[in-house]
Amino acid sequence: MFDSRRLDADLDEELSHHLQALVDDNIKSGMEPDEALRHARVTLGGVAQLREIHREARGIAWFEQWQRDLHYAFRLFRREKGFTAVAVIIVAIGVSLNTTVFSLVNTVLLRPMPFAQADRLVWITNGDPHAPLSGATSSIDTWEGLQEMSRSMDRIEGYSPFSVLQTFRLTGKGDPETISSVTVSHGLFGMLGVQPQLGRLFLPEDALKNAPFRVVLTHRLWLRRFGADPGIVGGTVQINDAPAEVIGVLPAADPFSSVFFPAVPVDFYSAVQNDIMRGDGNTLFLIGRMKPAITQGQVEADLPLAIAQIKKKYPSRGQYMAAVGEPLHDWVAGGLRKPLIFLWVSAGFVLAIVGFNLGGLLLARGGSRRREMALRMALGASRGRIIVQLLTECLGLVAAGSLLGGIVSWGFNGLLSTRAAVEIPLLQYLRLDGTSLAYTVALCLTTAIICGVALAWKLSGGWQMQNPLNEGSKGTSGGPGRSRTRNILVILEVALAFSLAVSATLMVTSLRNLLKVDLGFRPADLVAVRVDPPVQASQAAYIESALDRVRALPGVLQAGATDCIPVERDRSWPLYPVVPDKPNDQRWQGAHVRIVSPGLIRAMGTSLLSGRDFERSDEKGPPVIIVNKTLATHMWPTSEAVGHQVHFPPPIGGDNGVTMTVIGVAGDVLSAGPEQPAGGEFYLTLGQFTYSASWDLMVRTKLPVAVLTAGMRQTLGSLDPNLALTKAREMQSIVDRTLSSRRLLASLIGGFAAVAIGLCLLGLYGVVSYMVAQQTREIGIRMALGADAAGIQRDILGKTLALALCGLGIGLCGSVLSGFLLRSLLYGVSPNDATVFALAGASLLACAIGAGYLPARRASQVDPAVALRAE
Amino acid sequence: MKEKLDLLPGSLDLLVLHTLASMGPMHGYGIARRIEQVGADTLILNQGTIYAALVRLLQRKWIEAEWGTSENYRRARYYSITARGKRQLASETETWQRMADLVKRVLDAAL
Repeated sequence: MFDSRRLDADLDEELSHHLQALVDDNIKSGMEPDEALRHARVTLGGVAQLREIHREARGIAWFEQWQRDLHYAFRLFRREKGFTAVAVIIVAIGVSLNTTVFSLVNTVLLRPMPFAQADRLVWITNGDPHAPLSGATSSIDTWEGLQEMSRSMDRIEGYSPFSVLQTFRLTGKGDPETISSVTVSHGLFGMLGVQPQLGRLFLPEDALKNAPFRVVLTHRLWLRRFGADPGIVGGTVQINDAPAEVIGVLPAADPFSSVFFPAVPVDFYSAVQNDIMRGDGNTLFLIGRMKPAITQGQVEADLPLAIAQIKKKYPSRGQYMAAVGEPLHDWVAGGLRKPLIFLWVSAGFVLAIVGFNLGGLLLARGGSRRREMALRMALGASRGRIIVQLLTECLGLVAAGSLLGGIVSWGFNGLLSTRAAVEIPLLQYLRLDGTSLAYTVALCLTTAIICGVALAWKLSGGWQMQNPLNEGSKGTSGGPGRSRTRNILVILEVALAFSLAVSATLMVTSLRNLLKVDLGFRPADLVAVRVDPPVQASQAAYIESALDRVRALPGVLQAGATDCIPVERDRSWPLYPVVPDKPNDQRWQGAHVRIVSPGLIRAMGTSLLSGRDFERSDEKGPPVIIVNKTLATHMWPTSEAVGHQVHFPPPIGGDNGVTMTVIGVAGDVLSAGPEQPAGGEFYLTLGQFTYSASWDLMVRTKLPVAVLTAGMRQTLGSLDPNLALTKAREMQSIVDRTLSSRRLLASLIGGFAAVAIGLCLLGLYGVVSYMVAQQTREIGIRMALGADAAGIQRDILGKTLALALCGLGIGLCGSVLSGFLLRSLLYGVSPNDATVFALAGASLLACAIGAGYLPARRASQVDPAVALRAE
Repeated sequence: MKEKLDLLPGSLDLLVLHTLASMGPMHGYGIARRIEQVGADTLILNQGTIYAALVRLLQRKWIEAEWGTSENYRRARYYSITARGKRQLASETETWQRMADLVKRVLDAAL
């Protein structure tokens, strides 16, 4: 194409040689020179025409030709603004949904995680990765042992998932503030490839027992609290009334927290100090990096071996340890794989509907262009040329739609990536990257080619059979092939939309079922206000006097304190029942522990099934405990739990363990959210348990959060002027967060279904309107012969419903299939639930009636005289 | 006098290949002359169209071209058939003959 000028020159030279040779021969055979030249020219043919033929033969012309097609297409678009706008918007909807979903899939599932050598990272848990946190995490001893014994791991680092629930009070310049942190092993950031924006990250000396308290600030805290002052590095800040040395600041993109703590605002990081945490039991999640050229299989073989060696070499470290490794990415994305793939497939359905709709629109428009096409063919355009022309138009439409869709998707991505309350890892990394754009372009081309080729084939054929040039504008023949194609397209649209509607209804029903689940406490009208008592204060006395003041506030119904909000915190301790005649019966088990104030159980709205609540006087009495129903039934299946004793082994119960008497049985609380069954739980009272922690005052009130905290600040100010009270949350929002990814999924699928139904409505409307337009004459005749308007209307509506019912029939099969794919995501509803199918079907039929109504009315208003004369 | 024949689509390419195969390298004018001579008066050949056929054959690599000097010392482009072109010629000749046979048999039977 680029050396076309040279090729043209070559041809010119050849032609002139040819001409000269002809002239020579003609003169030789006795012609006059003039005559010879004229004759030669005739024999050779017109040079301009020859050049054109030559160009076409060597394939040069296609680009210019195509430019001309494009130009023509744009002229057409400008003339048919309405059609163009509808087509572009339809495509934009389909493309934006698909691009957004693909970006999500790409970010969470496909793209490597934003860590150095991410494919070599291994998630190491203490046996069962799905156990509650205290069972899935490992102890410092296990960690150090694995570092020593493992042959497959280059490095093993870790962090404490418990640390994020502990908050701190940040004082100093400005108002006191409640901040949260994560404790990480000193080498973790280095292994993950995280670099500081300022200063440095942790070093081995920061992990020593008597190292000063050193912190790395996150970018958000640095911006918010310290006005992005670079001078903060090397200085100190007041955390829990003690100086902490700031050694560095992280950049704005914090891959660690976005992967491991999505939806949690982390303010600073501190280093794991092995010797301080050694006695705390299982506290660490471990992340290892495989040595080069080590396979997952070798890791799976090596880790148990390493554990066996640790047990042999250090028998004092106990026998309750294990190590199981899985690729880190599998662990991070595992739970989202199914929902995201389902979402992806659903988005594909929407795109298919868009394609069918566009195809239908183009066919309808093609009807009015048959004469144009026939004319062009009569004037010598080849079928191939016409196909290229139509494809170009189609590509123009789809490209414009895709561009718009891409822009919308970019906006969606921005919106989603800032949804900090959604627990989807890596969401902050959601953006339109090259892969997503390539995917969009591929989608765009596929749509255009499928629609365009089908249309072109349909339109460019058929003229040989009948000549539309002679046809006039008789509306009687609608081209049976074309309207059949449109019917099939619209039936397929209904089928796909029905499948989507069923999926959406299933997801929404599941979400509603989950919202209705009795959690064992009443989250409504409950506010959790975080309080971090001064380190030197007596925790119990401080909390009790704070509670007294809060309870006295007007509008506060009840109040209590706990160190462990259900749904949010997951921590278990081991204990076993004391059986008097069998002192060695140690049927110990881990159960959720909550340290609470008297009155907390009632404030939460949890029922006390038997016995009594804690009282203040218990502080000086013998150790007492309240267990939940599940734990009580497990430990004393045949008798009443109250009055029995349980024993806590060391280190939790002190050096010798501690024995406590059960004073009450509380109702079960779904500690891990509505989707998990209740487990064993017990309550200890803070008066008997010297324990420094972050506390949540659980306040039952109808007051808005801001009003409550203002009141609390006033009344608690005299108790503790440095109290922050900046972390006050509605309990309902904490519960909602556990459902956030499900809610997002349900609303996305719901949105898809709504779009699908809308497109279906458009498609049906188009087909039925076309049908009515084609049959105007026939309807006129029928009306003239005495048919009544209602009958005509019924007839048209009936045809619309017939199309919709065909679609529902096909869609039923598709829905059964998608229900099968969905079943693991459902809660409290069967994938074949009849009500759901009926609901989805009814909504589509309603949509069909809506789509058919206007055309039917138009048909019934046909004036027979006008219709017959219109010819 | 009989009416002259228009060439069937595609047949010009076959004729050019055949000419090059039997006569060796030739320039465009030579090829046109040769086809006209063989076809005597039965063929209308707009001689220029031969160049479109040549470029098609070049693109399929059935022939190749080289600039040279013609018998009357003018610069001219000489075309020669390639090995692929020879194979193509063999198969197309066979197809053509079978087709011609078939048409003839059908027409004969109809009478």
